[in-house]
Order: sequence, then structure tokens, then C-alpha cells
Amino acid sequence: MSTPPDQQRREESAGLMEYSTESLVPFGPIHPALKEPEYFKLILEGERIVNVIPRIGYVHRGLEKAAESRPWVQNMYMFERTCGICSFVHSLCYGQAVEELTLYQVPRRAKYIRTIIAEMERIHSHLLWVGLMGHWAGFDTLFMWVWNDREVVLDLVEAIAGNRVHKSMNAICGVRRDMPENMTDRILERMKFLTDRARYYREVIDTEETMLKRTENLGRVSAETAEKLCAVGPMARYVGLKHDVRLNDPYAAYDEVPLDVITSNEGDVHALLKLRLDELIVSANIVSYAVKNLPDGPVRVKVPPIIPAGEHASHCEAPRGEIFYYVKSTGGRTPDRVKSRQPTMANIPTALEMLKGQTLADIPIVLTAIDPCFGCMDRMSFYDTETNKKWTWSGEQLRQYGINYYFPERAKQQRKFARQMGSSVNESLREAL
Amino acid sequence: MSETLVQVGKYAEEAGTKVNPLRKNESLVEVSQDRLKEFVNHLVNDSHVRHLMTITGLDLGQNLAITYNFALERDKIHVRTTVPKTKPQALSIVDIVPGAILYEMELHDMFGIDFIGNPWKDQKLLLPDEWPADLAPPLLKTTKPSEIRRRLGLEAAKP
Repeated sequence: MSTPPDQQRREESAGLMEYSTESLVPFGPIHPALKEPEYFKLILEGERIVNVIPRIGYVHRGLEKAAESRPWVQNMYMFERTCGICSFVHSLCYGQAVEELTLYQVPRRAKYIRTIIAEMERIHSHLLWVGLMGHWAGFDTLFMWVWNDREVVLDLVEAIAGNRVHKSMNAICGVRRDMPENMTDRILERMKFLTDRARYYREVIDTEETMLKRTENLGRVSAETAEKLCAVGPMARYVGLKHDVRLNDPYAAYDEVPLDVITSNEGDVHALLKLRLDELIVSANIVSYAVKNLPDGPVRVKVPPIIPAGEHASHCEAPRGEIFYYVKSTGGRTPDRVKSRQPTMANIPTALEMLKGQTLADIPIVLTAIDPCFGCMDRMSFYDTETNKKWTWSGEQLRQYGINYYFPERAKQQRKFARQMGSSVNESLREAL
Repeated sequence: MSETLVQVGKYAEEAGTKVNPLRKNESLVEVSQDRLKEFVNHLVNDSHVRHLMTITGLDLGQNLAITYNFALERDKIHVRTTVPKTKPQALSIVDIVPGAILYEMELHDMFGIDFIGNPWKDQKLLLPDEWPADLAPPLLKTTKPSEIRRRLGLEAAKP
């Protein structure tokens, strides 16, 4: 770029401008959501973080450019592949933007089916997140339990849509499959089970020492800051902002189902945990209600492949927050422009605020708290402004460091165990230290 | 909510333009570049339309359009300004909406628009570090995917 060579060299020698040039990535503004590479430059002062500079885009695939040369329908399934967790809501949001340009209405039954799938997706995404929080906090039992329960909802999704993750359920103006018959009782029973489990996990999180010690009073942001930084989804709700697209601008069948928007005033990571578990219960209620009150009728309207000229912006509430699609048509078989913005992109500025002032040991927890990608952990480099020392850790080393920082006793036991087993996991950590 | 829209209409008139309703709950305001910051300031601080969803870039041939997509409850307000392709420079709104910082960086990468006043504007956000300086920004209509593949040395990777 325009940085003079001298300055660039100086910055490089300070270790602040180090990028890995190994990932050669084509362009395209899609942001990865989980287990994908992302890079943060952390500037530490001793143990505390003073500044963070993000660098994303390592898995940019150029979907926006690709969309300009593909038919409207094909794009729907391409955008669904943006994320491997909240895939359905991408096709839903893109579909709604396109449907607004056509003159056709989505049938009411299709709206209900969309709501059911979207809420099931939220349940599985939130469960996945709670499990990962347990894992990074050093409470792997919680991780095992929660991911076992996640299978329950994934099985239901598979029974309805035919696939666990990439459902490909949406079509322009409708859904591709009707609900299978005789599913109602099964869904109601499973939703009751999940509600009970969520209540139990909430109790665990409130009483278990590991989770309390690792999450309480961590990652505090004021409501004013979060609003200024345009935070979305749970990241806005945990500081008390009532920001939920399902409530503010209802889409699908959200204006007909019992929706309860949970907000919290505590504003720490512990509150985020409780908030997401409460939302899970709300989602289970919505699914139960929608299944019981599923209207009759067709599920799809056939739409011609040419979409009339016009532009429209649509937004939906994904599990991680608001997602946004802008579509512009010039009346052809392909879009003129599609713009997509993912919730993690909107939440990164808030996450950077949360990180400031925290210790190194808290990074995994705080970064996981926003429910982002943390492939970033594997490329994190550290720079200590007091000793001018710099080093690089893998995600596993950082996780171990966090656990050892808070629970030295447990770490001692683990090291003893590792010595007995002849493992070298802790060796590399000692070297790093 | 309609009160807010009336108020926004007043500020739009002050900025020498008007609110153009696209459909129910969605409107477009086209503002010239020199009045933009003043209008956004009114919108955010006086009308309390605080949530910036994103910033969308558009290639209009001769010009580039920058659309600031604001939302307040049910209403979406798109504020659009254009800059010429020959001199793609715009004023940053980071001092009014701090959350716009990454979106401006994204537009800088994808359309080559310089946002004056953005603290991180010389840093790449989404494009690879080895993106050639003389290659046009990717989302311009004149940039062909085949050319990008050739310049980045990705031809061999194609099956």
C-alpha cells in the first residue's frame, strides 16, 4: 500500500506487521463464521491487552462476484454454503430480498415451515456455542453433554429437510419440501426434552465453579458503546439493547408466533451464556407452537426465472445476530449486484472493545463469546511491550495457558498425568512460556 | 416511527434532496458527497437512527454509489451518495458512526474507494496481501474473474 518502505521495515521489526502470506485467497466479501482463519494483532502490556487490530478475509471466496454470473435460483444455494452452521438463514434472507422484487406471495404454510427450520437451526447453533464455551473454559464434560443433546435437534432437521447442515429447503417463494406426516408428536417431545436440558445447563452454569470463575465479570462493554459500534444479536442483547430483527421487523411467521426477546443487564460473558440458553427455550416454544398450528395449503409458488428490475434490502435474525442481503436486478436472468453482510462482521468492533483490558488467558473465552471463527487462534502472535519478546501459540496452547492461569492445581495434576502417559502436549507449552 | 420519517424528510430538504419511498418501510435518500456527513449526523444524533446495517457499494458505470443502510425498527433508510470513478474519494463517517470502520475498509478493498478520515484505511481487510497494486478492485464490473485468477497465479489450481 502507500506505507513508505522505512516505516514498513520499522513496523515489521517491531513484530506488529507480521502476516502469514501462505494463504492465497481469492476475493469476495463473505465472512467465515466458525473454525475458519481470522487474524488479530494483539498489543499487550505485560499480561493486559491494550489494542487489537483485526485482519480477516483468509477464506474469502468471492461469492458476491460469483453471484453476478449465476442465475437467481442457483445463487440461493450458493449463498446457503456461506456458513456451515447457520446455512438456512442465508438462503432465507437472500430469498426474501428476491421475493420482494417478484409479484408473488409466499404461501402461509411455507412461512411456518421456514420459521420451524430457522428456530431449529438457532437451537443447534446455540447448543454448539455453549459446548464450545465449556471446552475453552476447561470444562469438557459440559462440551460432551451439550453436543450429545445437539444431535437430538439435528436428527429432527434431518427428518424434515433430508440433511443435517445444508438443508437446501428454501426456494424462491416457498420451500422445496413439505413437512413429513406424523412428525408433530416427535417434535413436541424432543422440544420438551431440549427445554428441560437447557434449564439444567442454566443451573450448571450458575453453580459450577469452573464456569463462574472463567466467565463472570469478563468482557464488559457499555450499552452505549455497543450501540455506537452497531452490535447485533446476542451481543447487543446482553448489554440490554432490545435488538432483534424477529421483533423489530418480523419476517416469515414471526408476527404470529409467541416471541419473547431476552435481554440482560449484567453485561458480562456469564450473562451471554445464560441469555443464549434462555433464547434456546424461547426457540423451542416457537417450534412447538408452529408445529401445533401449522396451516394447510401449498408450500411453494412457481416463479419465472427472470426477476423484474428493482432493488431491495432484506435482513433476518441469524443465531449470531442480524444478517443483511441487498439485491439489485436489472430485469435479467442474473442479479446485477448481491451484497451480503454476516453478523460476525458487525460484531468484530464490539469484540475488540471486549478484549481491551483483559488478560491473555481470557482471549479464548472472550473471542468465543461472540460466536465467531476461532481458526484465528492458530495464527495469533503475541508481542510484549515491556520485554520486547514475541512468540506464536497454537489454539491448543492458548487454551491450556488459560486453564493453567485460573486453575494451577488442576494444571499440576494434568502435567503429572501427562508425564505418566508420556505425552508431550504440555512440553510444548512449557517451551512457549 | 412516521414522526422520525417526517423529521428525516426535513433534514433531507436541508441537505437539498428528498426522501424517496421505495416500498413500504423502505426509503432511499440520495445526498451529494459534500452534504452527506451533515445529513448522517442529523440522522444519527437527532433522529436516533443509530443502527448502521452495512455500507453497500455499487458500480454504476461512470460513477460509484456508496449506500449507507440504516435501520430503525421496521424502517430501512438507505442513504446514497455517488463518487466519480476517476477520483474515488469519500469522507469517512467513523467519527459519527464508529461501527462503520470495517465496512469502509471492505469498500476500500472491493471498490477502491478511499475514505478520508478512516484510521485503518491503508490496511487490507479482505483482499490477500499479495493483491497486485495495478490490478483494478475486484467488484468493479470491468474486472473479469479470469484476469484475477491469472494475476494471482491461480490458473493452475483450476481443475
